[in-house]
Amino acid sequence: MATLAAPARATAPASTQSGLWSWIATTDHKRIGTLYLWTALAFFLIGGLEAVLIRTQLARPNMGFVSAETYNQLFTMHGTTMVFLAVMPLSAAFFNYLIPLQIGARDVAFPRLNAFSYWVYLLGGIFITLPILFQVAPDGGWFGYAPLTTTQFSSGPNIDFWVIGLQILGVSSLAAAFNFITTIINLRAPGMTLMRMPMFTWMSFVVQFLLILAFPPITVALVFLLMDRFFGTTFYAIAQGADPLLWQHLFWVFGHPEVYILILPAFGLVSEVLPTFSKKPLFGYNVMVYSGIMIGFLGFGVWAHHMFAVGMGAVADSIFSLMTMLIAIPTGVKIFNWIATMWAGEVRFTVPMKFAIALIAMFTIGGISGVMHSSPPADLQQTDSYFVVAHFHYVLFGGSIMGIFAGIYHYYPKITGRFLDERLGNVHFWLNFIGMNLTFFPMHFSGLLGMPRRIYTYDAGQGWDLFNLLATYGTYLLVIATAVFVWNFVRSRTRGAIAGGDPWGAATLEWSIPSPPPEYNFAQIPTVTSRYPLWDLKDPSWHEGEDSHGDTGTPGPSPLREETETHTAKALGIPMPYPTAKPAFTALGLVVMFSGLLFLRNDLFAVAMTVTLSGAAMLIGGLYAWLTSPLE
Amino acid sequence: MPKLSLRQAATTALTTVALLALSGCGFTEYPNSTFNHHTDFNTAIDALFQRLLFWGTIVFVVVEAGLVYTIIKYRKRPGGPKPRPIHGNAALEITWTVIPALILVLIAIPTVKTIFQTQADAPAGALKVQVIGHQWWWEFRYPELGIVTANELYVPVGRTVEFELTTKDVLHSFWIPQMGGKRDLISNKTNYLWFTPNADLGTSAWNGFCTEYCGSSHANMKFRLYTVQPDEFDAWAKHQASPAVFSATPAPAAATTPVTPVAQVSGVDSTAPATATTAGYVFPRERLETEFPHVIPQTPIPTGLTFDDALLAGGDPTRGANEGFMLGGCIGCHAISGVPGAVSEIGPNLTHIASRHTIAGGLYKNDAPTLARWIKNARHMKPGSLMNTIGRGEYDPILKTTNTGGLDDRQIADVVAYLLALK
Repeated sequence: MATLAAPARATAPASTQSGLWSWIATTDHKRIGTLYLWTALAFFLIGGLEAVLIRTQLARPNMGFVSAETYNQLFTMHGTTMVFLAVMPLSAAFFNYLIPLQIGARDVAFPRLNAFSYWVYLLGGIFITLPILFQVAPDGGWFGYAPLTTTQFSSGPNIDFWVIGLQILGVSSLAAAFNFITTIINLRAPGMTLMRMPMFTWMSFVVQFLLILAFPPITVALVFLLMDRFFGTTFYAIAQGADPLLWQHLFWVFGHPEVYILILPAFGLVSEVLPTFSKKPLFGYNVMVYSGIMIGFLGFGVWAHHMFAVGMGAVADSIFSLMTMLIAIPTGVKIFNWIATMWAGEVRFTVPMKFAIALIAMFTIGGISGVMHSSPPADLQQTDSYFVVAHFHYVLFGGSIMGIFAGIYHYYPKITGRFLDERLGNVHFWLNFIGMNLTFFPMHFSGLLGMPRRIYTYDAGQGWDLFNLLATYGTYLLVIATAVFVWNFVRSRTRGAIAGGDPWGAATLEWSIPSPPPEYNFAQIPTVTSRYPLWDLKDPSWHEGEDSHGDTGTPGPSPLREETETHTAKALGIPMPYPTAKPAFTALGLVVMFSGLLFLRNDLFAVAMTVTLSGAAMLIGGLYAWLTSPLE
Repeated sequence: MPKLSLRQAATTALTTVALLALSGCGFTEYPNSTFNHHTDFNTAIDALFQRLLFWGTIVFVVVEAGLVYTIIKYRKRPGGPKPRPIHGNAALEITWTVIPALILVLIAIPTVKTIFQTQADAPAGALKVQVIGHQWWWEFRYPELGIVTANELYVPVGRTVEFELTTKDVLHSFWIPQMGGKRDLISNKTNYLWFTPNADLGTSAWNGFCTEYCGSSHANMKFRLYTVQPDEFDAWAKHQASPAVFSATPAPAAATTPVTPVAQVSGVDSTAPATATTAGYVFPRERLETEFPHVIPQTPIPTGLTFDDALLAGGDPTRGANEGFMLGGCIGCHAISGVPGAVSEIGPNLTHIASRHTIAGGLYKNDAPTLARWIKNARHMKPGSLMNTIGRGEYDPILKTTNTGGLDDRQIADVVAYLLALK
């Protein structure tokens, strides 16, 4: 330690926090964030592998690489994994790690609930992922349309894993959302008004509300399906006259806001990266906040644009079409404001900046094709074709994944104290950028040239051969890109160049403390007087030449103190939550309880009851022990 | 309107650059393209899409060019100016809120117009076709003409055809990319879709697809559309409405009594070979091979499914009808008009099976060797198929048992001979 430069520090703070048990029992938001990051990256690789198998099967016409049944499981699990187990938890990793740091707090509002969310996610993720190894993975699509998912048409255990797994994962998301809302409302440092919050925290704030409003509809939809499958109710039983559109409405009332749940955190991350590497404040902060809120709000009024082909009638089609077009406006504003942020700035092409710029460029394409879908007659030629596959991969890969990579490269030095290797990062970026376009751009063509989605094979001579082959090559390029990234990610933990507390010259609170941050985050809770406290501190003249400071703050000497030394919480007399495995145990109980249902499929009623009641006992016991033990 | 024609010219150029010039788009190269004006429906859609593509391209170029210009012009350079701390600019922000909004208005107005135009009631005199989705094949009924068929649609050019879409099981979606947009088949609901193939459209063959994921063989739920001239359609319809031309039923009374009033049996002797009869109009197979190869199925027959093809030449249609079809279990699911008892609607109607070019949801060619293997072990040829395994000693991949009863190869050859006599 003594040989290192004074502010640089790359080893974890000396504490009792080491070993497997310390991870299971941790209640530290940063360690939970790290767990989320590693776990979600692992699921990202699994989902990617599924995509590779899918693209290999589709490389050429009438391939026999995988069977129809396997293919259907692969595309279902690719979607389910990427949405629920990779992109959402990658965002959650940043929520966990960054929100307390950005608002100047020592942890989230409910540290143990936070641990519970993670363990539910991990166990639920394993629950829904394992079946593919035994060829009984869910095979009804990530959207799980009834009545295909009812017992009449899917009598195997496949859909059981899906309906129970998503129900479990929903618990995780909801618990986390309430936690972050409470954290953001209650734990902001003095002077950190809502309109001074960093944009990532703002977008996360919006997303938490989307989560608590969007998950109830899908929970209801899943409870109906679960009751249908296990207890003989008839919510979706068409023989009893059910209307299958009930599922579609409930699913998409969740499903469309879900798109913004996936994209807004990425928007938040690039809104941190772009100002940092342009050396300029975010252009139009207020409008960026309002447009994020508008996107979230309007997102609840457009769900039926996923259903233009179901025959809702001309009036409903028109209303949902216009609502959908409306969303393009706040989204466009964000794009223009990001470009304006770089305008007249000092643009440094670091790896995180490249990913952030790529998000603007690629998401724009997804946004434009999105407007094309918003016109129902045109959508009738596009929906359920590869054109839609191209569209949402430009949104989710070109948007969410690019933004998340920008975030990973940007915050890796904060999390580990070391930089990711710049050279490998550049290789990763360019392979990723080219691979993504090679994979998804040709799908625009195959879709408009008549190729339906979700088909495991196709005949030659339909005009799709070339586009499919290109897409498959693109996927292989993405495999190489991801391998480079993984190598860099793992290697740089011990070999990366040491990063100081503020390696990028950024403006917000998380950069005013050492990297990696000490367990207590801030030795002294900071007082905030502007949106860019660290710039105010380090270069009080940065703001000269402009009348307003962009908020109600008065330019002047910042009361912020940069912390460069790491102590233990004990030495500073800061009370920290006890490590405890009770949340993990409670999460296990929840998953065991739900798993009991699986045995009903084979009429093993006694086994089902035993497992479910044991799980319930673990859940209640764990919760009781958790709630009656002191926090700190 | 010089402005409009300018835009049309630009649109045409854009489309050309974006799609056609890619490799000289021809009909044979992109046989399922959505860019065409073969029907009123798709003409309306394409006009809308061209407008979307036009504005989309402009937005794309402006944003991407602005982005690239910005990052090049303002890249960090030694001795460059210090960035100015600009927090925003209300006028600019209002500008780039209002301009996209105006563009959206230009899209929204024709969108709503087109919605109401294409979803209006079909014009009077439209040909009615009932489309019934099944896992994984299509049933087509022409209620006014007394026709029940499967997987192959015939419609006359120049006349509106209105589809009444329902499903017997899960959701499906009916899509013929060259004719226009798709419409879902929803359980317990009836949907409608209509279009009018242009009167000058030649006799042509098109691909249709299921585009709502519907289980194991979703990819294998295809169909064909033949747009034919009105006289060809009439000839086809007249014949299709008649009972089976080869009826080997042991009850002669039933065979001579037309089942439907429109039926006109052209002097069929119940025991005569089918070659003596005419099949009305059928889309010529040789034209498919030369002009429309994209509608000919290419699915390879799975390995491990063997059949003694030498037996096919000696197949006896009468024996196939009386023993194979009646006793082999076919009658449990398949209807043949004119054959007493063969009224089940579970599987495709086989009254004129030999007049179709495909079987199994458009997955295979309809010829003797393929048909024989299909009857022998359909589930081996089409994942998840609901058709029972008929071949004796065949392994059923769904029941995971070996079929101990059923038909041997010779009996199947008889059934094939019978089915291929049903012109």
